[in-house]
Amino acid sequence: MKKPVDEHYKLFINGKWVDGKEGKTFKIYCPANGELLATCAEAGKEDVDLAVKAAWKAFETWKDVSPQERAAILLKIADLIDANKDKLAMVETLDNGKPIRETTAVDVPLASDHFRYFASAIRTEEGQAVMIDKDTLSIILREPIGVVGQIIPWNFPFLMAAWKIAPALAAGDTVVIKPSSTTSLSILEFAKLLEGVLPPGVVNVVTGRGSTTGNYVLEHPDFRKLAFTGSTEVGYTIADAAAKKLIPATLELGGKSANIYFPDCPWEKAIEGVLMGILFNQGQVCCAGSRVFVHEDIYDKFLAETIAAFKKVKVGLPWEKDTMMGCQVNEEQLRKILAYVEVAKKEGAKVACGGDRITEKGLDKGCFMMPTILADVTENMRVAQEEIFGPVVCFLKFKDEAEVIRMANNSEYGLGGAVWTKDINRAFRVARAIETGRMWVNNYNTLPAHAPFGGYKKSGIGRETHKMMLEHYTQKKNIFISLSEKKVGMY
Amino acid sequence: MDKGLIITLEMTVEDLVNKYPQAIGYGIENGVSFVFCVGSFPATLGDLLRIKKIADPKAFVDGLNEYLAINKGI
Repeated sequence: MKKPVDEHYKLFINGKWVDGKEGKTFKIYCPANGELLATCAEAGKEDVDLAVKAAWKAFETWKDVSPQERAAILLKIADLIDANKDKLAMVETLDNGKPIRETTAVDVPLASDHFRYFASAIRTEEGQAVMIDKDTLSIILREPIGVVGQIIPWNFPFLMAAWKIAPALAAGDTVVIKPSSTTSLSILEFAKLLEGVLPPGVVNVVTGRGSTTGNYVLEHPDFRKLAFTGSTEVGYTIADAAAKKLIPATLELGGKSANIYFPDCPWEKAIEGVLMGILFNQGQVCCAGSRVFVHEDIYDKFLAETIAAFKKVKVGLPWEKDTMMGCQVNEEQLRKILAYVEVAKKEGAKVACGGDRITEKGLDKGCFMMPTILADVTENMRVAQEEIFGPVVCFLKFKDEAEVIRMANNSEYGLGGAVWTKDINRAFRVARAIETGRMWVNNYNTLPAHAPFGGYKKSGIGRETHKMMLEHYTQKKNIFISLSEKKVGMY
Repeated sequence: MDKGLIITLEMTVEDLVNKYPQAIGYGIENGVSFVFCVGSFPATLGDLLRIKKIADPKAFVDGLNEYLAINKGI
C-alpha cells in the first residue's frame, strides 16, 4: 500500500511551511504495524512565538472579515475536506489505528459538517439592543477574543481540530493549534488544504511533544484564550496556565460514563449500545460508556448476550474495510489498559471475555486489544472509578431507579451517559438526575455539531460543539448611549 | 538495586515512559497513570504526583525504582 503521507512535515506558520528553529524532529509510527509513517518538525519556543505573532498579525484583518465572507470560507473548507475525504480518512486510520469504516463514516464527515454548521451559525448571530429608559440605549455586541491556543488529543485528532478551529474562525479569532505528537498527520494534511483558502496566519500548526511545544504554548503570554481536550490530570495544568495569564480556558476532560439498562430497554438496540459505548474508537473516547449498569432482573441474560456480541466483533488491521475495531493508539496505552485488567482481577472482578492483547492473525506487530467485559464489578472498585480509555467495560448490577442514580453519580466525572428504557417518564427522570453534561436516551456516542457537549464535575469547563461555542470564542461589548442633551446635574 | 535506574521526582514523565515503558504498570497498580489522551503527562513526575494527591511521593518513587530493578525490559 502506498502511504498517503509525506516523509517529512514542517511547521505551518503564517501560511508557510517552515522548519523548526532548533532543527529538532520527532517520528510518527503506525500503531497497527509499527512502521514509520513520517517525521515532523518539533516546534521550539521561538517557533511558537512566531506562530503567535503571525496569528496576531492575521487577527488585525480577520476580525473585520464580514460574517458572510467568513461563512463562505468555512463552507469552502468543508468542501475541501469532502473532496479529500478518502485521503484524510486513511491518514487518520494509519496514524491513530482507528478502523477505516469509522474515519470514513464519522471523523471526516463530522469534521466537514462542523465547518458547515458554524458557517451557518455565524450568519444567525445578532447583538441585542435595549432602551434602559427613554433616553438611554444599551447595545450588546459580540467581538472576537483574539489569538487562541488550542491543544488536541490523539483519540480524534482531525475531528477535535475541527471542533476547535471551526467556531474560532467563525467568531473571528485566529488560532495556534498543537496536535498530539502521537497523531499529528491529519491536521498537517488539513493545513495543506487551508493554504490559499485562509489568509496567512489565521491558522498556525505547531507540532511537538507536550513537555516541550505544548508547554511553550501554555507559557506564552500573548494568548487570549486556551482550549483543550484531554485528560483531567493535564486539564489541571491548562487551567493553571490560563489562571496565571488571567485568560479563559475551555476544558473538555475525562469521563467514566454510566450506561444504564432497565428491563424494558429496546433489547437488541440496547446491546448494540454497549458496543457503541465502549468499542467505538477502541474505547479511547472521553465519554465512553465504560460503566454499564444493568437491572438485576435482566443482568444475567443481558451479560450473556453482550459477551456473545463482543465475541463477534472483528478486530483487525484498521485499513481493512470489514474491521470493526482497530488497535490502540500506541504501546503505552495498551500497557495501561492491560494493567487495569490486572487491577480488576485483584479487586475481584471477573474477566467475562477478552482481557488480553491480540497477537494472532497478522496482528502481532500492532497494539491490538481484545474487546473486554469485566463482570461482577462493584461501584467503588478502581476500574469502576478510573478512566481506563480502552475497550474494557465494567458490568454492575442494580435493584431500582434510586439505587442506579446514586451509583451512577458516585464518580468524580460527569461527561457522558445513557439510559435505555421505553418508559419516557423514567428516561427523563434518570436523564435529569445523572450529574453529567450529556445524557443519551436509547442511543450512545452520537456527536452532531448542533448539540452541546461538555462536562460536569471534573470532566471539564465550558462546552464544545453547538452555536454556544461562539460565546466561548467571543467577548461581549456593551455600547451605552445617552440620547439626552441634558447634563446629569451632579457637578 | 541497579544503580542505573534512578527515577526522581524531577524527571519528566515523558522521559520516564520513553526509557522505562514498564513503569506504566507500576503507576496503574499504585493509582497513577503516566499516559493520557494527549500523550505522556507534560511535566515532572513530582508535578503529576501532586495533582494525584499522592501522600508520600518519595515512597512512590522508591517503589518505582525497586519495581524497575526487578522488571527490566518487560
